[in-house]
Amino acid sequence: MTSRLSWKLLSREWRSGELSILLLALVMAVSVVVGVSSFVSRLQSALLSESARFLAADMVVVSRTPFSDEWVREAEAQGLATSLGVGFPSMAVADIDHMALVSIKAVSDGYPLRGDLRWSREPYGDVLAEGSVPAVGEVWLAPRLFALLDVALGDRILVGEAGLLVTGAVRAEPDATTAVFGFGPRLLMNVEDIPATGVIQPGSRVEYRLLVGGDREAVSSFTEWVEPLLEQGQRVDSIDGSQPRIGDTLDRAKGFLLLAGSLAVVLASAAITLASRRFGERHTQYVAILKSLGARSWEISRLYGLSLAVLGAIGTILGCVVGWAIQAGFITLLGDLLPVRPGHAGWTPVYIGVVTAAVCMLFFAWPPLRRLGLASPLSVLRTDVGIAESQRPQDYLLGGLSIVGLMWWYNGSAAVTMAVVAGLLVVMVLGFLAARGLLYGGRRVGGFAGSIWRVALSGLQRRGHANALQMVIFAMAIMLMLLLSIVRSSLVVQWQAQLPADAPNHFLLNLAPDEKLVLEDFFEEQGVTVEALYPMTRGRVLSVNAEELPKSGEFEWEGIPRQREANFTWSDSLPEGNLLIEGEWWDADDARASLSLEESFAQDVGAGLGDRLTLRIGAEEFEAEVRSIRRVDWQSMRPNFYVVFPRQVLEQYPGMYMTSFRLLPDQKPVLNQLVSVLPTVTVIELDLVLREMRTVIDQVAGALELVLSVILASGALVLISGVRSSLDARLRESALMRALGARARVVLGTLWIEFLVLGAMAGTLAAAGTEVAAWALQTQVFDMTWSPTIALWWVGPVTGALIIGALGVWSCRRVVNTTPVALLREV
Amino acid sequence: MIKVSQLLKTVSTADGNLDILCGIDLEIEPGASAAIVGASGSGKSTLLGLLAGMDVPSGGEIWLDGESLKNLDEDQRARLRAEKVGFVFQSFQLLPALTALENVMLPLELAGVNDADKIAKKYLVEVGLGERLSHYPTTLSGGEQQRVAIARAFARQPRILFADEPTGNLDTRTGELIIELLFDLNDRAHTTLVLVTHDERLAARCDRCFAMTAGEIVER
Repeated sequence: MTSRLSWKLLSREWRSGELSILLLALVMAVSVVVGVSSFVSRLQSALLSESARFLAADMVVVSRTPFSDEWVREAEAQGLATSLGVGFPSMAVADIDHMALVSIKAVSDGYPLRGDLRWSREPYGDVLAEGSVPAVGEVWLAPRLFALLDVALGDRILVGEAGLLVTGAVRAEPDATTAVFGFGPRLLMNVEDIPATGVIQPGSRVEYRLLVGGDREAVSSFTEWVEPLLEQGQRVDSIDGSQPRIGDTLDRAKGFLLLAGSLAVVLASAAITLASRRFGERHTQYVAILKSLGARSWEISRLYGLSLAVLGAIGTILGCVVGWAIQAGFITLLGDLLPVRPGHAGWTPVYIGVVTAAVCMLFFAWPPLRRLGLASPLSVLRTDVGIAESQRPQDYLLGGLSIVGLMWWYNGSAAVTMAVVAGLLVVMVLGFLAARGLLYGGRRVGGFAGSIWRVALSGLQRRGHANALQMVIFAMAIMLMLLLSIVRSSLVVQWQAQLPADAPNHFLLNLAPDEKLVLEDFFEEQGVTVEALYPMTRGRVLSVNAEELPKSGEFEWEGIPRQREANFTWSDSLPEGNLLIEGEWWDADDARASLSLEESFAQDVGAGLGDRLTLRIGAEEFEAEVRSIRRVDWQSMRPNFYVVFPRQVLEQYPGMYMTSFRLLPDQKPVLNQLVSVLPTVTVIELDLVLREMRTVIDQVAGALELVLSVILASGALVLISGVRSSLDARLRESALMRALGARARVVLGTLWIEFLVLGAMAGTLAAAGTEVAAWALQTQVFDMTWSPTIALWWVGPVTGALIIGALGVWSCRRVVNTTPVALLREV
Repeated sequence: MIKVSQLLKTVSTADGNLDILCGIDLEIEPGASAAIVGASGSGKSTLLGLLAGMDVPSGGEIWLDGESLKNLDEDQRARLRAEKVGFVFQSFQLLPALTALENVMLPLELAGVNDADKIAKKYLVEVGLGERLSHYPTTLSGGEQQRVAIARAFARQPRILFADEPTGNLDTRTGELIIELLFDLNDRAHTTLVLVTHDERLAARCDRCFAMTAGEIVER
């Protein structure tokens, strides 16, 4: 009989509302978990593709000598696309008066395998992304080379012995990041022209690059094949570890989404527990009847176990479907902004969904129902017989541990999990203390208050234990909702602050000291605001406290301090966007041999405040003391430096200047004039990148909004379940009050007061929990600065009181709409 | 047959132990009907719960149809109820999620009886609810609900039927109809009937009548 009865029970109970909340909570938990983890998986694979754009391939074999043809054949045999690149410095000659040292890159058809090569017909003309590479016999030049060589489109230049036709300007290469401080401006040509130039001789400094792209498995298999064949001077560059431009933004968004998913699971498990408790309580009488008719405990357990299994299966399937729709929604929302191949999420999110459902059912829904087997059949004769407590302390403990484990497994971050747990613990501990104190105090205050207040507050007092539990659950739900809103707002605010509308969008490098005035005059004339000019000298950190550091390459593993090369600068004041985290800044006239280090650089060389570093610039070595450690905002689009000196220390060394500035789209022609006035400077155009970043941030913020609304819905579900959990007792009391002659206004007033007080207290606790969790998350996880959110302390109690009050009175509205007799019979 | 020997039930209260049943001795022969009457709090319902094996006594022994309940655990007592005992309650105790027919089928299904459907229909027709098979309890009147409960109790053809204030929630007219139905079916099935009631007319219909006062029982 049991399976048939289970099915009947399930289908009929659907109408009672308890099951629909149980199912809804389960669907919510599974769908958010599946949706968010599918999206994050796809995002991760998208990030890998994004990284691939910076490599122009999925992997690159780099060599100082030409490649064996066998390698190319092997890659192609594995179904991979290949492209060859050769890089070397050489002279480009237009005529006897116009020649320049250039950084040549010769590429074959198909380059780049990932990302776009952007070029234009004119030096700073409209950017084109289509087309392939310079044809045989042609070259594309960096815009400033046109001025340096005094050539125009259609002119011929000489590279070695080959005469090549200038047909375009190279504007952006996907794998150009290393060329910023390279030998000179870029000259892009076809690899087939290399022999004709005759410039590559034995001993020439040449870098050969074999670009490989295609299916991820084939790429790894080729990597495994080629690695053992590598000789000295050859290496494999893969996309792991390379940092895409928007990586940090997406990384934080990912962290937020996983946090949101974890919170959804916590909220859903609270909703499931509440719904299941009420379901169990309402079924005690059912079970008593079944037992009086001869049903045994194991039959009862099987009956409810089967019901739960069916419900779990339906919830899991529905959750997976809804979850899939959620991630599809995210992908649609982000649209073309995601890199070319968002990739597949695979089955992992589904496994995660199934495990989440199983944990929710087993540890949250099942304990109250398992206890039904213990219900006494005697309650069919006597209404005062029931189950003492539907959940035991060990059920709560087991449930709590399982949810922490699930959260951890799901978001993969101990810090995120611990931050949420810390907030929840604060809510729980404070909650039970406050519940005891305030509810007791409430009765005393109520004693002096009017009759409605007295009845309401004594009601709160009478159901003290149940109210404390209800209040803590309300507080947890409100806390998780507030927490997510706060983290989301501060993330969005921070992103927007990173890229203010007037952020510089061009970098200018290689400005000679005597050209400073020319540049300043030029920009003033053109009405362009320029950031501070920073001198830049290449130098190396050799030793710390007279102990020589190993050179890079001697110790490859991480964590070992080693020599580092960097661009040094001097500054009288702390550079904008830098935060002093240790030590102090020097006065403008300070001539002591001292310096300031960026925090990660300080770690790399193993130096701290007060250490003495030996440094080398050119052939000269000198010592300086670490006076401060700085945190640098690398996304600020301003010149940023690892090592900064006082002016009087560094000024004596030769160096070039750099700066950044902002150009509006219609000011682009200024660049043409700039390179004719200052032909040796290098301009890096970041406006295209910035535009892309801004759109991505807007869209990601939109996705967060979507997730936040899903979480708010989960939170509302918990609040509704919470209100319903005490509904029967409240309805019974209210019906009795009405039967004894209380007017509807008095009954409603009492309910309003009870729920408003509960809501306000829950909101206050939530504010405390949110502050703790937000502090932990913002400082430990999102690497943001934290400050207390004062608004929380009134938003929490006020919204708590209003939402809980309205929900509570709405749920109990039958008290005044139905006759007391009908109500008493029903409950 | 029902036999009770020196039955004790004591509960702990804040003021010390309270004796609810003080050494009850009772014997009801097979097929007989017996009424237990008494004021509220006299221990009638406690006795009924113990007789049906729904509660455990503090002392003494109970035999149902020759089988002692003494060493049976809760599941074994439930099996005994499924095999030999029927119930009619004051508040009907029908499962609201099930139709009239499904409610009557329930004990048959619990006992693994084949043709539960047919048997249940037959009994519902006998109590005059042949037209209401697919109705849910909430759509039936009090009298109709009690008739479903009676059909449920007899469908399993129990050796013993316990009834707890079967007319307590019904008006006089409906109550009388229910009493007629109950005794009619009981006569035909030769069931041992034990009922707890305040209703003197109902008690008068039984072969024997026991009065309970402060945990003690005397036959009138």
